[in-house]
Amino acid sequence: MAEGLLRAVDIYKSFVGVQALKKVSFEINPGEIHCLAGENGSGKSTLIKVISGVYSPDSGYMEFGGKRYEKITPIDAIQSGIQVIYQDFSIFPNLTVMENLAFNSELADRRKIVNWKRMRKIATDAIAKINFKVDLDAMVGTLTVAEKQMIAISRALMFNTKLIIMDEPTTALTKREVRNLFNIILKLKERGIAILFVSHKLNEVFEISEKFTILRSGELVATGSTADLDSEKFSFFMTGREFQKKTFVPLNVSKEPIFQAKGIGMKSAFHDVSFDLRRGEIIGITGLLDSGRTELALSLFGIRPIDHGAVLVNGEEVKIINPQVAMQHKIGYVPEDRLSEGLFLTQSIADNIVISEIDSLANKIGILDHKRRSEEIERWVRELAISTPNPDNACQTLSGGNQQRVVLAKWLALNLDILILNGPTVGVDIGSKHDIHGILQKLAEEGLALLIISDDLPEVLENCSRILVMKSGSIVADLDAAKSDEKTILSYMM
Amino acid sequence: MKKILVLMIIVLMVVPMVFAAGQAEKKTGYEIVVVPKDASNPWFVRMKVGVDEYAKETGLNVYQKGTAQIDATLQAQLIQDLIAQGVDALCVVPVDLESLEPVLSQARKAGIVVITHEGAGLENVDYDIEAFSNAGYGAFIMDNLAEAMNFEGVYTTMVASLTNGSHNEWADAGVARQKEAYPKMQLLAAEKRVESFDNGDVAYNGAKELFKKYPKLKGVMGTSSYDAPGVARAIEELGLIGKAFTSGTGMPLDNAALLESGVVQSLTLWDPALAGKAMIALAVKVLDGEKIEGVVDLGVDGYTNMKFKKGSKTVLEGEGWIVINAKNVYDFGF
Amino acid sequence: MKSTISNTLQKLSRRNEPYVFLVLMLLCVLIEIRSGQFFSSNNLVDIASAFAVPGLFAIGAFMVIISGGIDVSFPALASLSVYATTKFLLDVNYQGGVWLAILIALALGAILGAFNGLFIGYFRLPALIVTLGSSSVFKGIMQGALNSKQLTVIPIGMKNFGTSSLFIAKNPVSGLTSRMPVAILAFLIVLFLVYFLMRYTMFGRGLYGIGGSEISAHRAGFGVRNTKFIMYVMVGMIASLAGVMRVCMMQQAHPTNMLGMEMNIIAGVVLGGTAITGGRGTLLGCMLGTLLIVIVENSLILIGVPTSWKSVFTGLLIIIGTGVSAYQVSRMNRVRSVETVAKEVV
Repeated sequence: MAEGLLRAVDIYKSFVGVQALKKVSFEINPGEIHCLAGENGSGKSTLIKVISGVYSPDSGYMEFGGKRYEKITPIDAIQSGIQVIYQDFSIFPNLTVMENLAFNSELADRRKIVNWKRMRKIATDAIAKINFKVDLDAMVGTLTVAEKQMIAISRALMFNTKLIIMDEPTTALTKREVRNLFNIILKLKERGIAILFVSHKLNEVFEISEKFTILRSGELVATGSTADLDSEKFSFFMTGREFQKKTFVPLNVSKEPIFQAKGIGMKSAFHDVSFDLRRGEIIGITGLLDSGRTELALSLFGIRPIDHGAVLVNGEEVKIINPQVAMQHKIGYVPEDRLSEGLFLTQSIADNIVISEIDSLANKIGILDHKRRSEEIERWVRELAISTPNPDNACQTLSGGNQQRVVLAKWLALNLDILILNGPTVGVDIGSKHDIHGILQKLAEEGLALLIISDDLPEVLENCSRILVMKSGSIVADLDAAKSDEKTILSYMM
Repeated sequence: MKKILVLMIIVLMVVPMVFAAGQAEKKTGYEIVVVPKDASNPWFVRMKVGVDEYAKETGLNVYQKGTAQIDATLQAQLIQDLIAQGVDALCVVPVDLESLEPVLSQARKAGIVVITHEGAGLENVDYDIEAFSNAGYGAFIMDNLAEAMNFEGVYTTMVASLTNGSHNEWADAGVARQKEAYPKMQLLAAEKRVESFDNGDVAYNGAKELFKKYPKLKGVMGTSSYDAPGVARAIEELGLIGKAFTSGTGMPLDNAALLESGVVQSLTLWDPALAGKAMIALAVKVLDGEKIEGVVDLGVDGYTNMKFKKGSKTVLEGEGWIVINAKNVYDFGF
Repeated sequence: MKSTISNTLQKLSRRNEPYVFLVLMLLCVLIEIRSGQFFSSNNLVDIASAFAVPGLFAIGAFMVIISGGIDVSFPALASLSVYATTKFLLDVNYQGGVWLAILIALALGAILGAFNGLFIGYFRLPALIVTLGSSSVFKGIMQGALNSKQLTVIPIGMKNFGTSSLFIAKNPVSGLTSRMPVAILAFLIVLFLVYFLMRYTMFGRGLYGIGGSEISAHRAGFGVRNTKFIMYVMVGMIASLAGVMRVCMMQQAHPTNMLGMEMNIIAGVVLGGTAITGGRGTLLGCMLGTLLIVIVENSLILIGVPTSWKSVFTGLLIIIGTGVSAYQVSRMNRVRSVETVAKEVV
């Protein structure tokens, strides 16, 4: 075996009394694709920052190419060939691609005067390395997430890079972009560049990495070859909990559909969409990003009203022209980007829960009934197991999974009939994801009708009774979830 | 770093206290405060000379306190602070009449004697002192301007702001005087009154525009002490010396060069130091319980023969105007 | 070839400068129609001369806003340093040229700017709070320590500089003359230097970078603190230079009559397309925006708008102008999202 590229041995690190890393060791070899996994707060980011010299460890040491360091600076790390690509890609959205690419090396060379010709050459060379084609004069802020990521990768490769650390690189990418990214990672591997991939997405870990390291509460729980890992083990290592996969079986399906879409359409988004939804059912709608799935969801809730066809609720035609009408007919919507659309992050958890039912909590003269308010809040915090010491804390103090539960609570407080969820577990860790799935299934059993829009195929397969596959704005398949698998769905999607 | 910050904050807090302690000399008798429009205008710096002199002569606790900028709101705040401080009398040169009424009413309710200067329209005062009747002074400026213009041609008027009390009264009186005595002169119909905001640069730029837009314009009647000097700069730069003229209030020494070079033939004035003294003298009389009626003698030059303005029970007018020209510009000592 | 032209046009249409330029031209034509005086040589010289000082201030404000900060203290800073300079030179009865006044004012400006830079750059306090505070401190020093009052006599060197002219424009019709002040050279020199700084030095690009993302700038290796600190020092010097020019041209040092200029200056910079959030904007746009404000302020009598409506007119212009740039931004975002979707479909 070749000499290790990097070894971190018995690293301890604590912050004002909180032990972030406890005796964590880590090793990566040249050309190795290594996945570092762990839930929020497991110490992943701390470990990355120790490796890249941002934090110095309380004890323990590191070895780069056999050279031992007790403490390193970010500059040492860069000189040893380590580059970190953070989730925000460390880009300047207001500047051109060229400047974004060239700044680092210009600064490293301690240049004072800008030579635009030289910068253009640096940038051209940088993107050529990964065969990335982009207008060097484009403003980076106008690019897609994937393109920004390519810029970050190109920039990282400009130095004599031996290890690239990527922090949650697939979070905002579409499936096609993820595939593209993986191809590039494999090419880098061929050149002997090691990749440390931080992720909590199961399928990615299996697909791309050869080795894995899983942290939990600052401790190393498992490390080894991905080949020896399966999804049960992975979930267990991540959470410390055993999960039984619970595939949804619809129990109390109503005879009459509560919601019917008849040939509905919206210009340049989707057309001729028809389906029935019954109480107790969970229907999954899946498709690629441009398939019209998100627009459909928005239409059903009245954010972007339909211009064709009819919607029937309880057998009667309803014109859902805005979200207020949708809510009057007991339809709720949990948006894709809960951070920007579904929650007031700086407001308290409690306020977020009761916001949509605030009118019903007021007494006759319009004054808020504080007792009933706190009862409601207590009830939902308990029922959805939102883990917070105090519901008066701001929503942004919660983890992604718990924030999603607050969004759910906010809607459930309204006693809905129909709940539309768009990407219900995007950016949520495994434990919470499992819990949310449990909640959704339980709600269906209690008689709610659910519509899940998601491109997470295991998610729809596990939690839905029926799956509608969308492509180019129309439904191309209506599948029974129990008799379907990922391959079949993918074949319809592509 | 934090320590340095804390240290700096402490220093910032302690320094003013030390200063404040140094200023707290004991004075006896009435505490009378003169509040000018601002503290830096030489006009009010001159007024302070009179106030300080008065304090020295009488030993009363009399002082002048002005805001950093000419600003009606700041002035009102300062007066409110003084009310809270419990002074005996306030002598105010108001920036803006209307916005000051409520504050002055507050002062009077608190039992404070309120004397104003250049505030003839105010209601909530004990008395208002004018160095002269506004009509008299406005006419006086017009006489000077008319003489410079050789009693003919188009002119306009300039005030600090259209809400300024006395400036507008002077301008009105000036226009009235022209109509009555100088039939060959004519008020510019399109721009009868422009504002200078008590800012020489605004007066200068405004005058440049006026002379460009209205080639017939031959004279500008200034009121604020920034107006005529600012207009004079424009006249000089535009090459209009001897063709366009201005007159109005102005401080002698500050404008010596303009007067001597002939850009401006004459300026008009009263002595702010004396006006300051007169205000305080009147305040003392009121505080002493003296009856103010008939002809009032404040014992200050030009204010020995003060009469109530026609129809007013609060406005007292003196005869304090003076003309300044190249001959007497150095005679005043300010 | 054709596509490059349409490409260029398309890029141009997304920028702010052409719109500001258009508004500027419309305004000029309006003034010309109403007064027949706008395009006369002496009026153009008058505008250039009225532009020199606000132009200098705007250059400083531009740098600060690009870096993601804001400075409301520059009028107070300029007032203090030029007042102190003038007073000192009067006290020592200085009879030499204007250069010493400029040097002293620049030095004072650097010190006062460093005061801002220290708190904003090194202590990382919010720029608005710091400059509001320093503005009061500077005014306070003037009022308290310097016991300021209007100085109507200024040192002979400054006076001569203020009245000297590059050339004198004479209107052949009305015979009116206007001086092109030598001070305009100071403005042009600073404009050139700052243009070079912002475009061709890593320092200048660093300001753009910091304005775009401070964290990214830090990670890329820019010395964020030092860059900010040095920038505030520079801005202090530019503001002080503007103060000296103003006093020379006015032939008197008034301690307060520059105060309050900050709002219109900042409005002009934003009007010219500089994003108030930092990172985006060009010096050209900034100059056009400032010019627009200066022309409006100095042409209302020419248009025939009563002076009492001046602030209403200026305010409306700012709202419309910034509204146009806001509309531009939202239009750009829409174009972007369409393009993004298009890319993902491919």
